[in-house]
Amino acid sequence: MSAGEFDAEPRPAGYYHLVRAVLYREYVLFVRYPANAVGGIVVSLFFFGLLFFGGRMLAGRALTDSIEGIIVGYFLWTLSVGAYSSISSDIGSEVQWGTLERHVMTPFGFAPVALLKGVAKIVRTFVTSGLVLSVMLVITDTALQIDLLTVVVVAALTVASVLGLGFAAGGIAVLYKQIGNWLNLLQFGFVVLISAPAFDVGWARLLPLAHGSGLLQRAMVGGVRLWEFPPTDLGLLVAVAAGYLGFGYVVFRLATRRARRLGVLGDY
Amino acid sequence: MLPHDGGVPSSLADALTDRRPSDDAAATDRALVDDATGRDLAVAVEGLRKQFGTGPDAVTAVDDVSLEIETGSVVGLLGPNGAGKTTLIKSILGMVLPDAGTVRIRGIDVFERPREAYAHVDAMLEGARNDYWRLTVRENLRYFATVGGVDPDSVADRHDRLLDRLDLADRADVPVRDLSRGMKQKVSLASVLAGNADVVFLDEPTLGLDVESSRTLQRELRRLAEDRGLTVVLSSHDMHVVETVCDRVVVMSEGRIVADDTVDALLRGDDAHNVRITSADFDADLRAALRDRFEVVAVEPLDRGARVEVRTDSDGLYALLAYLRTRGVALERVTTVEPDLEDVFVDLTGGEDR
Repeated sequence: MSAGEFDAEPRPAGYYHLVRAVLYREYVLFVRYPANAVGGIVVSLFFFGLLFFGGRMLAGRALTDSIEGIIVGYFLWTLSVGAYSSISSDIGSEVQWGTLERHVMTPFGFAPVALLKGVAKIVRTFVTSGLVLSVMLVITDTALQIDLLTVVVVAALTVASVLGLGFAAGGIAVLYKQIGNWLNLLQFGFVVLISAPAFDVGWARLLPLAHGSGLLQRAMVGGVRLWEFPPTDLGLLVAVAAGYLGFGYVVFRLATRRARRLGVLGDY
Repeated sequence: MLPHDGGVPSSLADALTDRRPSDDAAATDRALVDDATGRDLAVAVEGLRKQFGTGPDAVTAVDDVSLEIETGSVVGLLGPNGAGKTTLIKSILGMVLPDAGTVRIRGIDVFERPREAYAHVDAMLEGARNDYWRLTVRENLRYFATVGGVDPDSVADRHDRLLDRLDLADRADVPVRDLSRGMKQKVSLASVLAGNADVVFLDEPTLGLDVESSRTLQRELRRLAEDRGLTVVLSSHDMHVVETVCDRVVVMSEGRIVADDTVDALLRGDDAHNVRITSADFDADLRAALRDRFEVVAVEPLDRGARVEVRTDSDGLYALLAYLRTRGVALERVTTVEPDLEDVFVDLTGGEDR
């Protein structure tokens, strides 16, 4: 008689199990270590407080008139920063812990794990940014049109492009360790991208965040529902999201392959 | 299947029985018949070469290495710092892309069909945490079983036994970050064994373990290889671990394999042995005469006479004793000095750490 005879045959894991494992891990970390999320919310609100109260002192009514647009833009910015920095720094941490190498040598590889982590980060960031949004609306005594389906779909697709940039930055950081910190500065550039529609330049819609930011403004300030947007606008939103995600994936793959060639994949 | 008493797992080997999903087994069996000699190979490396940098600063970390590791064997990889051990292991695993050469794991080309090959492999690499410290011990096992291609629910019982054998059962639901260094090391090992890998690479697996844990680990690794056919490639600076656990030792120096043999054969070496002779008659004149005629490796002057160590083969030993007899030397004590693996290692590599 052996111990093994009491066991069922080990069953192979499919993508369903992988999705469950990665999302469960992200969930456990979120609820077990809430300090990071709480800290992020506090910092976001602090900066918004500075922006709002400081701006009102300086610009007075001009700021108050455009407060809806500022709130939506700030909401999108916190979403973008959350998704970008969490995925790029997450990849850096995986390198440092040796778990990236370990994932690379699994039947699934690291790419689907990273993508699932990205999805989890977006969900997590929606929760924290949603809280920030609620507090902003209370502080400023402002009302927005929040159709949950429209906001979630448009914002998620918008932020997906930034997630692609996060993958690319994470991949480059695997290859060039010192550059990783500098790439974090990119998130301040998101402010420009989020306000890009104001430039009214056609090609600007192809930049990450820009087109989606415009649609989100129309949804949350103007009350446009998802199905009321022209199909071309939604198509462009999807295309930009897929394009940057694909770009990030390709850069990540190329960077990790180059790192394997140079023998620096696990270095930190 | 391994025998044990009354349904209670008796070893880590028991804990890891029935590792392979049946649909994978057929493919594996087919893949294993690719060796012309008919041997059951877990790892086959041929002509592996890796150079870092170019021009005069180029360093050849792995230089035309060929190596075959049979299924179920425990192979120790030894070498001084910079000998190329880690690069070799990482090249075998595809973490470093070599400039030339092929690697087959269970008959599957790692570079052509990595995903299939990786279903058989896991590794604990040097200096890596290897797992998630903010997850609990059990969560790590479940997670790494999943990414390793195994439904964690189907191996939950095995995980319990694994934790039991590694004395981690009462810490199963504790986040790894809250454990001691030695325990973290054991969790790393447990997570490597949590999936379905039948070829595992362990870089310094006993580092940070206390003596008792290290012994337990050595014993269990040995049993795994013998009972379950688990193939282990173990790199360690602890010669005792290698000597105790490994069937075979591969010694690397400057990117090349300088010795590849069983531990016994390496320890036996050639016919030469060191013989230590103590005599009150070993004065300076006689010691100088011995140095001229024999390979004297050590001389320790005593209050009366000296203790002289001579490296010699059988014929040389007869000649040595005959010579001492002609000089009228009274032998007080004659002993042979058995080399340990460290002596052999120093002999092979020149004892240099680059």
